[in-house]
Amino acid sequence: MGETTPEAEPRKLAEEARDRVRFEEEALELADQVYRVARRLVSTREEAEDLMQETYSRAFRAWRSFQPGTNLRAWLLRILTNLNIDRGRRQQRSPDMQPLEEGDYFLYNKLEEAGRESNVEQERVDERLSQDDVVSALSEVPHDFRDVILLVDIGDFSYADAAQILEIPIGTVMSRLHRGRRILKSQLAEQAVNA
Amino acid sequence: MAPGLEADPCSKCEEMLQPYLDRDLTDAERAEAEVHLDGCSYCRKRYRFEAELRRFVRQAVSEEMPPDLKRKLADLRTPLY
Repeated sequence: MGETTPEAEPRKLAEEARDRVRFEEEALELADQVYRVARRLVSTREEAEDLMQETYSRAFRAWRSFQPGTNLRAWLLRILTNLNIDRGRRQQRSPDMQPLEEGDYFLYNKLEEAGRESNVEQERVDERLSQDDVVSALSEVPHDFRDVILLVDIGDFSYADAAQILEIPIGTVMSRLHRGRRILKSQLAEQAVNA
Repeated sequence: MAPGLEADPCSKCEEMLQPYLDRDLTDAERAEAEVHLDGCSYCRKRYRFEAELRRFVRQAVSEEMPPDLKRKLADLRTPLY
């Protein structure tokens, strides 16, 4: 009862090795997508590289705790965001309390004025804001709000996945996303004015 | 009144725009949102602007992973015997 035959043990080890290799390969295939979020969670490329290496190192050690069939990308991002919090890499200010409703429409109106001759929305935004403007504006968004923007807008995660990764309720994801985007737009409006 | 958007002329917009853009609505809710967009020029204009801004932000902040990082990550794998 419950005894293993002499042949069973090597077979079990071989199966485990095969599962581990498959896990590692699947995790590596997702590295580009994980990096895109990691890069904007921290200030520099070097920090993002360190965070990625710590994340993958931990993931490879803890591979048995991943449940096959669930979302591996979300599992990796959960490790990454927790590591980022643990290591205190965030250098943040408290949330900006400026009147965001005004900032929201202000950006639209500034871009509207800039592109009145054009009917193409894309031209309006592209003409007024550079890539650096957007990166700079995003870095000004407080981390609690930026995390959800990064996961949903850059990482393409659903609200439910973002909630699981950050260990917060879905309602909180939605409200932070809403407020975070307004803060971002307010920052972008400043950039548009100065452009 | 300033040109462009006025302050919140459509409460329906605030309620459905975000989950609609994030594709986080059920089929029925999505159909309802599309009916609303068809009939509400304010929301349609706002939707186009938000969708374009989101695309632009996504494109602007996306940075490719350095090629040697992938190799470093691969080196972290458990060695095979």
